[in-house]
Amino acid sequence: MSDSPARRVGGLRLRRLALKELRETLRDRRTIITLFAMPLLVYPILSLIFRTFLFSTLMSGTSDEPVKFNYMVESELDDEKLMAIREQLFKVTEMFLNPNQEAGQETDEVSDASKTNADEEVQLSVPGLPKPGPEIASFLEHDWTRYALDPENPVSLEDLIRKGEADVGLRINVRKGERRGFGYKVEIIQNESRANSRSATRVLKERLDVFNREGLRQRLKILRVRTDVAFQMEEQKVESSEPQKQPLSFAALIPLMLVLMTITGAVYPAIDLTAGERERGTLETLVAAPIPRISILMSKFIAVLTVAVLTATLNVAGILVTIWAFQLESMLGGGGLTWPMIAKVFALLILFAGFFSALLLAVTSYARSFKEAQAYLIPIILLSLAPGLMALTPGLSLNGPLAVAPMVNILLLARDVLEGQAELVPAMIAVLSTVLYGFVAILVAAKIFGTDAILYGSSGSWKDLFVRPTEPIDRVPTPTVITCLALLFPANFVLIGYLGRFQGPLATRLMLMGLFTFLTFMAFPYLVSAFQRVKVSSGFGFRMPRISFILLAVVLGCSLWPMVMSIITGWQYVLEFFQGAVESQAWHDRLIEFGKAQAASLREINPAIIAVTFAFLPALCEEWFFRGFLLRSLLKDRPVWLAITISAVVFGLFHVLSNSVVAMDRLLPTTLVGIVLGWLCYRSGSIIPGILMHMLHNGIVVFLAYYQPQLSEYAWFPAEGAAIPVSWIGVSALVSLACVFALQLLPRQSFDEAN
Amino acid sequence: MIEISQLAKSFSSGNRKIQAVRNVSFQVNAGEVFGLLGPNGAGKTTTMRMILGLLRPDSGYAEIDGLSSNDQPDEIKRRVGFLSASAGVYQWLTGLEILNFFGDVYGMEPSEIDSRIKELSELLQLGDFVNQRCSTLSTGQKQRINLARALIHDPPVMMLDEPTLGLDVVGSQVIFEYIDMLKQSEKAIILCTHRLEQAQRVCDRFGLLHQGAMAHTGTLEELRTATGRKDLVEIFVDLIAQTENSESGAAHV
Repeated sequence: MSDSPARRVGGLRLRRLALKELRETLRDRRTIITLFAMPLLVYPILSLIFRTFLFSTLMSGTSDEPVKFNYMVESELDDEKLMAIREQLFKVTEMFLNPNQEAGQETDEVSDASKTNADEEVQLSVPGLPKPGPEIASFLEHDWTRYALDPENPVSLEDLIRKGEADVGLRINVRKGERRGFGYKVEIIQNESRANSRSATRVLKERLDVFNREGLRQRLKILRVRTDVAFQMEEQKVESSEPQKQPLSFAALIPLMLVLMTITGAVYPAIDLTAGERERGTLETLVAAPIPRISILMSKFIAVLTVAVLTATLNVAGILVTIWAFQLESMLGGGGLTWPMIAKVFALLILFAGFFSALLLAVTSYARSFKEAQAYLIPIILLSLAPGLMALTPGLSLNGPLAVAPMVNILLLARDVLEGQAELVPAMIAVLSTVLYGFVAILVAAKIFGTDAILYGSSGSWKDLFVRPTEPIDRVPTPTVITCLALLFPANFVLIGYLGRFQGPLATRLMLMGLFTFLTFMAFPYLVSAFQRVKVSSGFGFRMPRISFILLAVVLGCSLWPMVMSIITGWQYVLEFFQGAVESQAWHDRLIEFGKAQAASLREINPAIIAVTFAFLPALCEEWFFRGFLLRSLLKDRPVWLAITISAVVFGLFHVLSNSVVAMDRLLPTTLVGIVLGWLCYRSGSIIPGILMHMLHNGIVVFLAYYQPQLSEYAWFPAEGAAIPVSWIGVSALVSLACVFALQLLPRQSFDEAN
Repeated sequence: MIEISQLAKSFSSGNRKIQAVRNVSFQVNAGEVFGLLGPNGAGKTTTMRMILGLLRPDSGYAEIDGLSSNDQPDEIKRRVGFLSASAGVYQWLTGLEILNFFGDVYGMEPSEIDSRIKELSELLQLGDFVNQRCSTLSTGQKQRINLARALIHDPPVMMLDEPTLGLDVVGSQVIFEYIDMLKQSEKAIILCTHRLEQAQRVCDRFGLLHQGAMAHTGTLEELRTATGRKDLVEIFVDLIAQTENSESGAAHV
């Protein structure tokens, strides 16, 4: 009965605790100043500076006029023809690019000036097509210089673009095989590192595209002639010859500003609610109350995060208003600023705020006074400037180790989002790794926060993190496991990236892969557990189980694969749903091609090496880590289903990063196999059945591909690239399910049971 | 009600090890005020923190109602009202908000909290200042808010570490009157204070801590018999002098 009050408060407690923290921090004048005054002051001032000094050279003319681009044309056509092409291009396309100018609609609402323009252009319009819009004149004003080759001093068009003589180079020629001079080939040469070059290319491509797609199609429909495209486009990108002249990427600058402002917002509450509270003598009162320290810490995390997100919101608003007021949209690449883009950047900012708030709390929890906390935070903020500035480097892309580098990954991702060039997979890796780092930071903070050492000033609390227990323990504590995971995730990513670049023979590459697997998944967790005095038999479940579990594992290892393979190929239907039939067919073809190529290259290698690197080592090391180290630890204090699911999803995520290609299609099947392996491990209290099952499963899959040519001689065996027969999948599913139930029926063997 | 047995705690500071509490034992019953007295640095606060489970003892144990503070610190915390000497208040919250918050934390119903606050306001003479933010309050007002905070859940055990710190005579008077009243309502109270005259009046039994060890325990009469002195002040001065003598004696040997 005595603990009923605690239960009664349990659900609401965190909310109430957080509310109190928030109330306290939001009433504080210092929070309010950083929250409101900064964005109000900083952005107008910053934008003034930008406008005056940085971007004046880029923005030709005032903001009332559109940017004027410089196109340089190299062509065998005569001037007259070229000018005609240019007019056609901009004129016809204008009608489709301007949504206000629907066919048949009068342009009543346009201004006087534009009316004049429209009137002028009337005679040029094609019957049946909408009237040209008001912007035509301005587009015709883009510089369109003819490039003449000087025989004395031959310079290529590419060189001129590289030097920045013009924004975009165009090589326009009659398309091969065209007799009537109607189809043209347009080669576009752009300098990707220059914003103006990118924008000019965008404008041009848009026009060409619209012309090809709409204008011509409609006109030719009237004439009832061929409907293929008139301009065949070819693109070429050149590097800038003077890198020091590259302008700062505005799209990269915005995330950096936002991130720095978010940090500014979070720093004060983080210090005040931890070190400040200790200094004021209210922390002890709180710790003396019957609430777990993790709840107190979480409430503080929520409060810091809320203030950080509030700061972020106000700053995003500040930036949006600034961009709007000073018409800086053109400084961003891609299609300008859109609401989904803003939403994505904002979501990233919240993610970053979460990660950074956790990091701040981990540091400030260690401090005993406000001043001490400030002293710790200054180097951290300076350190976080380095990746921030790094993200400004033009041409840096979000992949490889950068995708898992804290802070840099979020900054690069935000830049890509703003430029409309974000890709799903590196984005997912960046987001996932940041979540993971934030989680670890919270765990560290929870370990330090409110400990006697911090509360009462004796030294050595960091040591507590690395303290070696005096007595052997039965499993590795979950915080240690999560910290190891956070280290392994980027390490694994870097190692796989290295393998992808490895140039040597395939056999060596495979052996390196085996070595890495061994080091990361077996040796490293073993060292960690040995340091923690965890016994291998209880901590990893590395012990002989009953023979019945071994038998079930063998059956599962042999029967699961057709089902797993069918799920992989089934990904095609998921793709079809999201991306259409063409994409999904392309994916399927790639999968088959990739499989064929891989199998062919493997056949060059001794089967013993394949058996070791594909079946034996992965089975041993991965079971050791995912089921032994991770699941065993998670099973403490967690429902069985949750522990197994978490370990399986982590298992799946690690496989998504395999082979230096990120393979989303592997997530679901691997997670499912992970669940079966987890269940097997839990019921048998050992990882040995799992190792067997894993080894058989991997071995069968790889050797079926290896011996495909020989096996295909039998009539019943499917040909290479052909689908697995439905009957096989059915049998596989039935036998596997039967085994899973059989595991439930067998009496469970616990991890600690001596056999 | 409270059973302390052989509590010991040492801190390491650099290479030195400081024995803060040495095998301290005593009991406190319901309806009894135990005066834990001693000069600064005697180990009073450390002892209290160990009883509450905020610090883990190196050896020994503390129990309240048979519950050990090592094993069930949350159960102990629920039964104890703790006012630490260094306790502060939340500058940006009002007294009322603080009391409501802690009532919540201790799992009380809102109506229960309201009536309890009313009760405490009368007893501790909390005036209109409970509605002010704490940054605007005087030391005495803050201390009364803090005391009310420690009492909000009406705990059976009170641990008061220097409850009259920084208070004037009238303020102290209010607090001691209240302690007297708590005693009447069968609470077990451990009181640390340097105001020896008031302690002599309000406490039933005493524990005299010196350099981490319990020098004397017992009622005033027992202490008088043991030391041959008349009141607490004399006993106290004697105690300090004795240890100084023995220390200098030890140094001469």
